[in-house]
Amino acid sequence: MRARTVISAIGGATIIISAWILMLLQPAGAHTLLVTARYVKMAPQGLDDPVWETAQAAQLLVEGREPVVGQNGTVISRALYTDDQLFFLFKWKDPTKSITKQSWMFDGQKWVHLQGNEDRIALLFEITRINKFGTRGCAITCHSPADVPRKGWKFATKTNDEKGDLWHWKAARSAPYDYADDAWLTVAGNPTGSYRTTGRRKDAGAGGDVKNETPDGTRPLFMQNPAIKPSVPGFLLLEETVKITNYSMFKTGDTIPYRLPLKPSGSRFDVKAISRYEDGGWMVMLYRKLDTGHEDDVIFNPKKRYSFAVAVFDDSGSEHSKATEPMTMLFSR
Amino acid sequence: MDTLSEMLALGDIMARVKALRVPADALTWHRFSGSLLLVLLVLLFLSGAFMAFYYSPAPGAAYDSVDYALYSVPFGDVIKGVHHYGWNIFLIVLGLHLVRAFIVAAYKSPRQLIWVSGVLTLLLIPALIITGDLLPWDQNGFWTTQVRISIIASVPLVGDFMVRLIQGGPLTGIVALTRFYVLHILFLPALLIILIVIHFHFLKTRGLSEPLFKKGSQSKTISFFPQLINRWLLLFLAVTLVLGVLSWYWPAPLGDPADPTDSTFVPRPEWWVLSLNQLVTIFKGSLTVIGSVIIPGGLVVLLLALPFLDTSPDRHPARRKKVVLTAIVVAIILLGLSVMGYNEHFNGNVS
Repeated sequence: MRARTVISAIGGATIIISAWILMLLQPAGAHTLLVTARYVKMAPQGLDDPVWETAQAAQLLVEGREPVVGQNGTVISRALYTDDQLFFLFKWKDPTKSITKQSWMFDGQKWVHLQGNEDRIALLFEITRINKFGTRGCAITCHSPADVPRKGWKFATKTNDEKGDLWHWKAARSAPYDYADDAWLTVAGNPTGSYRTTGRRKDAGAGGDVKNETPDGTRPLFMQNPAIKPSVPGFLLLEETVKITNYSMFKTGDTIPYRLPLKPSGSRFDVKAISRYEDGGWMVMLYRKLDTGHEDDVIFNPKKRYSFAVAVFDDSGSEHSKATEPMTMLFSR
Repeated sequence: MDTLSEMLALGDIMARVKALRVPADALTWHRFSGSLLLVLLVLLFLSGAFMAFYYSPAPGAAYDSVDYALYSVPFGDVIKGVHHYGWNIFLIVLGLHLVRAFIVAAYKSPRQLIWVSGVLTLLLIPALIITGDLLPWDQNGFWTTQVRISIIASVPLVGDFMVRLIQGGPLTGIVALTRFYVLHILFLPALLIILIVIHFHFLKTRGLSEPLFKKGSQSKTISFFPQLINRWLLLFLAVTLVLGVLSWYWPAPLGDPADPTDSTFVPRPEWWVLSLNQLVTIFKGSLTVIGSVIIPGGLVVLLLALPFLDTSPDRHPARRKKVVLTAIVVAIILLGLSVMGYNEHFNGNVS
């Protein structure tokens, strides 16, 4: 009887230990970078909340694409989630803080555009499956279609069934309202109001910016409303402006922002942001509901894994970026 | 019950079932591996049938259909998890079942064919796993299949023919997926059931092996129905609960969708195939056939022939030193190869 007991105990223990080993030996992709979102009960309160230290830091290598080939860098990423929200914290080095975008300057005779653009970070997820996005990442949407010359490439998906969710934080145009412009990606087209043919579409709602220029494009149209104290110092928000009626009041060297952020709302305002520039780099926290209830957003199910990619833009007004390889986000309790 | 059985004209069958007596230790807390295997098999069939309701065996739709079943159908991930952990544990328990049968020499006359049918069942499981791994059409399943196909192709004379037979052409595409699906849900399970029926037939006619440590226990019997069935149902409930909880907290993995053009993906072998995989790694080039066919094939032949090679009446391991020693050496070599495979594929790689 004693021998039986020992044998049974060994058998039972073997099954339990084997099952545990099996869980450790889950075969996984051997070349995909993982970003793990850790569950927390309370949402992080800003960039400096100590709870961020509990999230695993992933070093994301971003590689420059033409014309910035060789300009590689690293984005440190952490992710947390609560019962209803997902939070990202990104940190990356950027020696130049770029928060203006072609501001106007009066040179004494005429208005000219200053050099300078803005820093940005963009994330792309799949709303519905984008063929090969999980293995090729942004390359499959930026280098599209692959069978046409480079200048014909559009940021788009290849079929109507493939949809991406684009989160686009812009230091000059979305940061003043503490959000990342929420857009989505589909096949290339030229919808009403767009000035170029890509697959980028705005989520429902308001947001973005307007160009501050007169119809002939020679000078600014708006200035800060003297009756309103700027809510975000250094930025000119459209809702806080008045039309310029007397241009003689400006003296040489005066500047006025060229791109005026619009007050965001609706699905376009789903991704909230907190940002700070310090020690030669950006810290940007992006957060959103796991399920916004909007068709133009990816629904995050903590049981699933999600392919995504990140791109950072340094003082850039074009699509020239440094982007990651495809990555996978997991949720862990 | 009586009324129902009369209505269905099952009176005779019910009477025979009720009169059926089985050894009291056919299912006890210290002898449960056979019953546990049957529990796991039923769970695998049930969970597999559930997934088949949602599955679409076409490369463009397979992944999304599995994704839907996993994450959009209530408890879909739990059921997939039961299937995933079920076959892993099935393989472990089947191995332990055979190890126990080996230790107590349950393969000896008159039970040779009980052993042979058990070994054939063990050999069938990898075929079910291989065909099942491709079905989700994810990166790991697709590229693992490529490795396996290349190993099959390395078999002299029949390798290419077998590959074409299995996947319907030189590439793993829609025909291959359809064939794997049909094999996985139809032919292989049917073969498995036939083998198990044969196993039970010989079990019933030849009886359970006598315990090594206590003689005469088989003189005690219990009724098949309801006593044995009740014990089995209790085991079924317990295993279902354990697998359900396991699947709830550690869901079955589903990788990225398969990209047949992404040859940079390096699949990792599953635990049960680490030793065989390492054999293929050791014997390369013209020697591949040694690792892929000769050694595994020799082991299979040895296992099947064991009852006919070890014909002495002695059952106690201490009196079967040669056989036991040989088995221990083979087990140590396989374990060593598995450890080597683990170090190669799971230590130090990017995760």
